[in-house]
Amino acid sequence: MAVAVLMPKAGISVETCLIGTWNKKVGDPVAVGDILFAYETDKAAFECESTAAGTLLEIFYEDGAEVPVLTAVCAVGAPGEDVSALRGGAPGAGGDVAAANAAQAAAFAQLAAGEAQSRPDVIPAAERVELGAPPLAPMPTLAPAPGPVKASPRAKRLAERLGLSIAAALPTGPHGRVIERDVEALSQNQRSAGDAQIAAAAPAAGTASDPSAADLAAGTATQTTPAAPIFSAAPNAPAYTDTAMPLIRRSIASAMQASLQSMAQLTHHHSFDASQILALRADFKRHGAALGAEGVSLGDMVLFAAARTLRMHPDLNAHLLEGGVLRRFSGVHLGVAVDTRRGLMVPTLFDADKKSLLEISREVKELAEAARSGGISPDRLRGGTFTVSNLGVTGVEMFTPIINPPQVAILGVCGIMTRVRAASAAAPAPAALSAGGGPGGSGGGAGIETYPAMGLSLTYDHRAVDGAPASRFAQALCNHLERFPLLLAL
Amino acid sequence: MPKSLFIDPAALSGKGVIHFADIPVNQYGKTVAQERRSKNFTDADLVRIYRDMTVLREFEHMLNLIKTQSAYNGVETTYPGPAHLSLGQESAAVGQAYLLDRQDMIFGSHRSHSEVLAKALSCIHKLPDAELLSVMEGFFGGRILRTLEKVHKAKDVKDLAIHFLLYGALTEIFARENGFHKGMGGSMHMFFLPFGVYPNNAIVGGSGTIAAGAALYKKCNDDTGLVVCNIGDGSLGCGPVWEALNFAAMGQFDTLWEGKKKGGLPLIFNIFNNGYGMGGQTSGETMAYDMLARIGAGLAPNEMHAERVWGHNPLAVIDAYRRKKETIAAADGPVLLDVLTYRLVGHSTSDQNAYRSKEEIEAWQAADPCVTFRAELVAAGVAKDGVFDAIWAETRERMTKVCGWAADTELSPYADFAKDGAVIERLMFSNERAPTAAKAPARKPEVLIPKADCSRVKQIAGKERAAVVDGKPVSRMRTYNIRDAIFEPLIDKFYEDPTLVAYGEDVRDWGGAFAVYRGLAEVLPYSRLFNAPISEAAIVGTGVGYGLCGGRAVVELMYCDFIGRAGDEVFNQLSKWQAMSAGILKMPVVLRVSVGAKYGAQHSQDWTALCAHIPGLKVCFPATPYEAKGLMCAALAGSDPVVFFESQRIYDVGEMFHEGGVPKEPYEIEFGSVNVVRRGGDVTILTVGATLYKAVEAAELLAERYGVSAEVVNLHSLVPLDYTEIAASVAKTGRVLLASDACARGNFLNDVARNITELCFDDLDAPPVLVGARNWITPPFEFDEYFFPQASWIIDAIHEKLLPLPGHTASVNHFAPVEQMRRAKAGV
Repeated sequence: MAVAVLMPKAGISVETCLIGTWNKKVGDPVAVGDILFAYETDKAAFECESTAAGTLLEIFYEDGAEVPVLTAVCAVGAPGEDVSALRGGAPGAGGDVAAANAAQAAAFAQLAAGEAQSRPDVIPAAERVELGAPPLAPMPTLAPAPGPVKASPRAKRLAERLGLSIAAALPTGPHGRVIERDVEALSQNQRSAGDAQIAAAAPAAGTASDPSAADLAAGTATQTTPAAPIFSAAPNAPAYTDTAMPLIRRSIASAMQASLQSMAQLTHHHSFDASQILALRADFKRHGAALGAEGVSLGDMVLFAAARTLRMHPDLNAHLLEGGVLRRFSGVHLGVAVDTRRGLMVPTLFDADKKSLLEISREVKELAEAARSGGISPDRLRGGTFTVSNLGVTGVEMFTPIINPPQVAILGVCGIMTRVRAASAAAPAPAALSAGGGPGGSGGGAGIETYPAMGLSLTYDHRAVDGAPASRFAQALCNHLERFPLLLAL
Repeated sequence: MPKSLFIDPAALSGKGVIHFADIPVNQYGKTVAQERRSKNFTDADLVRIYRDMTVLREFEHMLNLIKTQSAYNGVETTYPGPAHLSLGQESAAVGQAYLLDRQDMIFGSHRSHSEVLAKALSCIHKLPDAELLSVMEGFFGGRILRTLEKVHKAKDVKDLAIHFLLYGALTEIFARENGFHKGMGGSMHMFFLPFGVYPNNAIVGGSGTIAAGAALYKKCNDDTGLVVCNIGDGSLGCGPVWEALNFAAMGQFDTLWEGKKKGGLPLIFNIFNNGYGMGGQTSGETMAYDMLARIGAGLAPNEMHAERVWGHNPLAVIDAYRRKKETIAAADGPVLLDVLTYRLVGHSTSDQNAYRSKEEIEAWQAADPCVTFRAELVAAGVAKDGVFDAIWAETRERMTKVCGWAADTELSPYADFAKDGAVIERLMFSNERAPTAAKAPARKPEVLIPKADCSRVKQIAGKERAAVVDGKPVSRMRTYNIRDAIFEPLIDKFYEDPTLVAYGEDVRDWGGAFAVYRGLAEVLPYSRLFNAPISEAAIVGTGVGYGLCGGRAVVELMYCDFIGRAGDEVFNQLSKWQAMSAGILKMPVVLRVSVGAKYGAQHSQDWTALCAHIPGLKVCFPATPYEAKGLMCAALAGSDPVVFFESQRIYDVGEMFHEGGVPKEPYEIEFGSVNVVRRGGDVTILTVGATLYKAVEAAELLAERYGVSAEVVNLHSLVPLDYTEIAASVAKTGRVLLASDACARGNFLNDVARNITELCFDDLDAPPVLVGARNWITPPFEFDEYFFPQASWIIDAIHEKLLPLPGHTASVNHFAPVEQMRRAKAGV
């Protein structure tokens, strides 16, 4: 008897998944455990293994379709078997309502992308209506989006009330207008995005302008517009391309916007003398292999130091909840911003304050790898109490990272600059220059010296924390990093 | 079509000729001296006749100077309104009024100052002082009298009354608050009910049907006196006037009406024949009759007792009225008088008299009755010339004083529109609840049998008052339907209000074209339910006359499309008289019209928009039996004109929405309220008329296929309309669709949509969308689905304009912007 393979539920909060590409085609033999297709949530990518053996009889959802979890995606059985009973869902018991809602949401998304006519298959059969003659009127399409966002007064009012940006909503109304339901959908996305910590550093460049195949498959629409001849010597060269953002990008966009709109964020910039951690880093590289610690990076040390320091500054290791409740955590769970091809992801390093430097170093690498491959569990994308975003390798001198709500602070890690200061005996590992002039000059008393300065940018929510305690935390962190070995006592 | 009147082919096929009796022309021929000897008049009477002529002459002379020179006898003033003068016609007016009593009614035209003043002067002479004082005290709470007391020391009550008359008339012309109807009528609509002066009418011939309605009121309610319809020779070109002539003379008054009601209407059509309809010369140029009185011969076997009278001799006119009053008293009306006269000045003060020669005017000036009648009185020794000089001096003195008072804006202020924005608003509707007309006290309603014996009443008693009982649909025959829901309150009212009459085409034996009145003929005499001629203007116009006399009329036009035939009567008369009279007149008239189906382009239009557009009409369109009964009860209890729309598509439907069906006892639905027939949260559908049922069908499909819950609200009252519930529904759903069977362009719901947009803008998730019929002729019934809104159109409109529905594909191409633009550009 033919059986359905269901779209897996990849995490508690996941309601729908996008099918990436099918590895099997109809007619292929399938064994239990065979990879049928790749799929992704708005946070991560996965592969779906077959739960049945036989022949792949029918694929209900093609590449790029958004499918409610626990909905039948394909049928596997003996050739010639009737699969009509399996078509159109058969979601698990109790999942009907949620699945139907999700299916509807998916269909809306397709409508917006102008695909409903060419792809009626994205609408589950149970919802499908006889289409009859080809539609006479143009279906609503996603506006190319130059100029202001078109939105109904009701949608605008709702967005204002919820503190959401109307621009972040996916328009499904007539003529590309954002209507009430789009703001409601945005608000729901926002909440799940909040859970999953899509957040942090603002300039997450690259993903939107460099759509991957998966992005395109995930229901995005790219529109290319030839330039008017008057402006271009080559008449066929596009003057610009319009690319609809993939779901994850939209998720990030909404989360970023909501964060900035709902909090009183400001950023303090500090720097510390990185001589000692640079020296340590060099030691690990040179002598750490025996301990398996040759890969411990400056970033790992910052995470280690931040986790230890936060323990002493619980006001920053906190969530500001609705109703004015500040929840301080006993453990430090660090969100670690990771740049992936699909966009920014923030896996969580749980109990970072209790882990050794080596443990932190190893785990962060694993998390980053999992995030980049898309195989990370959504449950590792939640639960952070403080986030660290490291843009040091990109040469950033300072930046203003964006807090991941409901956290109250985020630490931006910047690059290392060579700076000068008045020479001081206390300075660790100084590279001294004589005061008053050029090389070789010498003088009694104060001279100036150069040192490697690493920048830290602390953004905090002024609603939850005042400037002085925030600065004290940053100062303490700088002190700890300048005298890193002392931290090992903690 | 009564069975009692047998149309016999044997009789009809016989040979013969039609005989006409001679129509008298200027047969009076008596001299003043002869009249003195016949004792018909005392010398004082004759002098007073001349005195009244001077008042009329001087009043209009004053208006002429005010309009042309902005001054009269040293009083500098002017006004922007019209002055259609009848200078030269005074003798005809005074002659007419001489024998009329207070209970006799006159209706007039745009050129009726003289008729008004003459009738009032006649009354002032006849009424005892106490009655005169009570009239003046009782009018607007004595306000005009109080003003006069400030400035005038009257010689006696009659002197006071004459000043009262001139001042009330002139301030009315000057648009002042002290005017007889607070300045809201003006020169062309002046009247004064206490002296039996009923509205003058600025629509040529407008008084024709209205006066006939007033005469109908007198007949049906056993009211004493007669009605005079003063219209001009120019109005004989107007269809409604011919309809009125025929209606007033129709055969059934003699053949079918019984008892005291038998016999013709107490009505004199007094045509002041001054030779011109504006500048068009009636005899010889624009009319066929040669002599106007001839038309009587074409109208009725008694030739309407038609007669031509030389109006320049007031005694000739009085003589005619003396004889015609007897005709009326013998129930042999109506009467047609062709009263020859001539206006010495132009149609209005801007008339250059391009259409007549100087010679002609001079010839008539020489025959000016103010000159010739005075000369005859002096010659006959009635009074010396000096008496007439004194009369002129007194008249001029009165007029100069009155002009000064009326011109004085302190003494005679304008209504303060700046301070009081509701001056006219308060006058638009009387909003009274009058179970019976004021003028018919404890009179018992005339009926033929007890209500319970009426076959229809018995039939209705056996019906189920809801469409579904115990979960099962009731069969068509056993369902209390919209027909019954209109019939029931109506028959109740017939047993309660003695003034109530109902008429229209085929309402009696046939029971109305759509059987709404079936059974009524069993219980009502002809005088309360009769077949009108196919004269829509007369049907509505007589209703207006009946209503403004204080009677309650329910008139029917069968098809809504026939409103065009009664355009003036619906849009200018029925609608406006309450406000134009400053609230003195009430208009308890229900005009039933039915929106057709199946009968093509001229029998299927919903014209609610036309009626709703006109200020002064209440407009309703019940679509369920519950609505129909409640609204008819309210319409019959009110004092305002109601255009009561019905739909032939749904006469058969039972009550599907109201819990417990239609109550047996009377209840009223407040005008302005709306009927929420289905609750929902995603979209509001507002409907008018039979489209309600398409909307309910659409709502069911929306729920079933798309999980969209629609709130369906029927606007059973278009004017007035309370937006409270509508706004609440839109605030909830954020989306609104409006649908009716009326063509989309100019559909009344466009107005509702605009108001919603303004009132609920921030609640809206999309602009309101209208689904109306196509802007075409109504095609044959077979193509209804291409013309009238369908449930599928409603869903399409929601999908394309309010809330895209996943999986939905539009069935029609009505709602794409490009198509919208194209159709508008093509005018279709």
